[in-house]
Amino acid sequence: MDDQTQGGKTTRRRASIGSWGIRLGAISCFAVILAYFAFTAPGFLSFYNILNVVEQSAILGVLAFGMSVVIIGGGSDVQTGGIDLSLAANTGLCAAVFATTSNAGYPVPTAVLAVVATGLTVGLLNAIAVVRLNILPLLATLAVMNVVAGSELILTQNTVISVASEFVSGLAMGSFIGVSFMAWTLIVFTALMICVLHFTGIGLRLYAVGGHPEAARAAGIGVGRYLTSTYLFSGLCAAIASILLVSRLSASTPGSGELLLSVLAAALLGTVFSRRFVPTAGGTILSTLFIGFLANGFQLLNVSSYWVNGVQGTLILLVVAATSLAKPSER
Amino acid sequence: MTQQSNLAINMHGISKSFGPIKALVDANLQVERGSIHGLVGQNGAGKSTIIKALAGMLKPDAGSIEINGKTVTRLTPANIERLGVHFIHQDRLLVPTATIGEAIFLRNEPGFGIFVNHRKMARRARELLKQYFDLDLPAGTLIQDLTTAQQKIVQITRALAQNASVLVLDEPTAALVKREVVSLFNVLRRLKQDGIAVIFISHYMQEIEDICDTVTVMRNGTDVGVVSPKTTSIDEIVRMMINRDVGEMFPKRTVAVGETVLNVSNLSREGHFDDISFDIKAGEVVGITGLLGSGVKELIHCLFGLAKPDSGAFTIDGTATNFSSPVSAVSRNVALVPEDRRAHGVALSLSVRENISIASLDRYSRNGFVTPGPEKSAVDGFIRELSIKTPHRDALVRTLSGGNQQKVALAKWLSCQSKLYVLDEPTVAVDVGAKIEIYTLLNRLAAEGAAILFMSSDLLELVGICDRVLVVYRGELTHEFQAGDVDSDRLLAAASGARSQTGRAAA
Repeated sequence: MDDQTQGGKTTRRRASIGSWGIRLGAISCFAVILAYFAFTAPGFLSFYNILNVVEQSAILGVLAFGMSVVIIGGGSDVQTGGIDLSLAANTGLCAAVFATTSNAGYPVPTAVLAVVATGLTVGLLNAIAVVRLNILPLLATLAVMNVVAGSELILTQNTVISVASEFVSGLAMGSFIGVSFMAWTLIVFTALMICVLHFTGIGLRLYAVGGHPEAARAAGIGVGRYLTSTYLFSGLCAAIASILLVSRLSASTPGSGELLLSVLAAALLGTVFSRRFVPTAGGTILSTLFIGFLANGFQLLNVSSYWVNGVQGTLILLVVAATSLAKPSER
Repeated sequence: MTQQSNLAINMHGISKSFGPIKALVDANLQVERGSIHGLVGQNGAGKSTIIKALAGMLKPDAGSIEINGKTVTRLTPANIERLGVHFIHQDRLLVPTATIGEAIFLRNEPGFGIFVNHRKMARRARELLKQYFDLDLPAGTLIQDLTTAQQKIVQITRALAQNASVLVLDEPTAALVKREVVSLFNVLRRLKQDGIAVIFISHYMQEIEDICDTVTVMRNGTDVGVVSPKTTSIDEIVRMMINRDVGEMFPKRTVAVGETVLNVSNLSREGHFDDISFDIKAGEVVGITGLLGSGVKELIHCLFGLAKPDSGAFTIDGTATNFSSPVSAVSRNVALVPEDRRAHGVALSLSVRENISIASLDRYSRNGFVTPGPEKSAVDGFIRELSIKTPHRDALVRTLSGGNQQKVALAKWLSCQSKLYVLDEPTVAVDVGAKIEIYTLLNRLAAEGAAILFMSSDLLELVGICDRVLVVYRGELTHEFQAGDVDSDRLLAAASGARSQTGRAAA
């Protein structure tokens, strides 16, 4: 048994060296790509461009936080852990609800309320499927994603619904001390997330629920309640993101589902910034901005934006493969 | 009867039935403050049921529970900790990705309102570890980077940080190595002096004797006695547990010893063992033991084909053999029962029948097809002999209890009908009843002419069952005892290299 323990120690040491390597590699990979853009793309590092990226990342950022919270609560195991595939579709449905209620002449507060109610309902649907019915999140939210995407099509008949209102244009165009409302939304949201996830007991317990549900239960934490909240929260994020989306496009458009890849990429890439390989608020915002800069850099270099999808997909594969290799095997 | 006021736990007349099965019948458990109280019994004796009743995980049908002198009517897992009773679970229930500080203070985080003061949390965690265990660990270390013993200590610290007055430890030493057990026991003794009541559940009778002040023995769902290990021998306690004599526990047999089956000569492996020679004859049960790091484990691994010796040789039936892998060992008709049965022993998703016959399908096959008749009757034979508690032979192994899974693993190898059996700790974490069944089986195998090499750390069972016991100390075969010429004290002294052959070595 003695030599087994020692064997276990060396494996652990090797694993922790491996995890260092992966984190260092991933972060330097980020740095190299950004440096490449900085040198080749004109105006990449200008203050205006950076602010522009932050502004354009607002929608992705809000959604990525929703996804991160679900992954934190459900555990970062890619196959059995928490994931919300319906997040992007939910955003699309919420956008459609916002556009139709606004166009039907309802006042802004009513429309916003309807959007939040829609987002939370979808979140609740996920929560029931995952927490109550015990379906794997990957499958449960995939099914919900299809239900939601279908509902959006029924509501919009697959058309663009343009919205013109003071609220919408104000949100899209307005600014405060030189920073647009869009960018402010992301900044405030990020600050809130950092605060809740890393400086409150709620955040700590959420991480415990995701890390080892049995241990969390033994510590007297209501695991089911926490899990339910994560899906409700991601529904809320979809609602907030949908309002930003409609404001930016002055319309609800089909095809929001395509956001899913970027959202997943942002949440999963974020895990490499943590030594525990779990999503963190800081990691999520950094990788959101990285994806934003990636798209922006391609744009500045006149590379087709179609490439961005391929790059994001590859990054997800790399990160997932690397983190699962670095994690000490339980067996 | 002790004074009521000094009882930390007083469970009185607890009964609980699950349908027609009576799990607890008028059971009592009384634990004094500042004492370490053992709870022993075979699997199914009601140990875990009474602990679950205390934890509020199930509601007893009758009986009363007093905690620190107060009668408690509504016990739930949520409020039990508030009453000062903490459970250290067998599987270390800690979040692997949490830091030490987070694990200790989870749900009781120091801070202000909903905000957590991470620096204070880390500092207090470090102080507590230092204060109670004289352990200096950076509080930022992740749980998954700690050793098993350190994780256990973090669990206990967590309880202490919440002002535990009663600690319940369920098989706390199962995953620990000897050195860690010693330090855990020192911790428990210190807690005892601080007035904390400890309930200690263990299958290891030696540990019960070492650490417990009093022991409640359970059998058939009730307490059959409260004794002090200082005045009552282990044999006596075991007799109370199984309600028969320990003499019967180690059934005796007389077998004519036959030809040499295994001959080991001058076997050496650099840094592990040196120049080891012995032989085993047909019909013999030979025990071998040694402390951790003595090299005995590596010696067994060489016989298994898991490790290679540097020099020396061994022969089986007079033919020189050099196993390069377990496969070649099995092909020479050597049955190996490895220690880690969970990992290597049974396929959980297969049936009892498939598990037992999988290694010996050739014997039940004709022209490549399994003939079901002989296979079934052979499997039924094993189920009967080992009293494997299974609804039928086609039940999935997953549905059996742990002890019964282990019996299935054993039956798999026994069904090979080998000439030589090498067993590595076959009775670890098996309850007393199942142990007796395993001993009986080994005896029968020996009687049928098999040679058995039996590696064990349980000195009592070595003394009880073996014809000869070999002791390896620091890589050398230092002692060979004949049955009837040795007791567990002398064995322990030899294994630990003590000069005196009489004194009990300090544990």
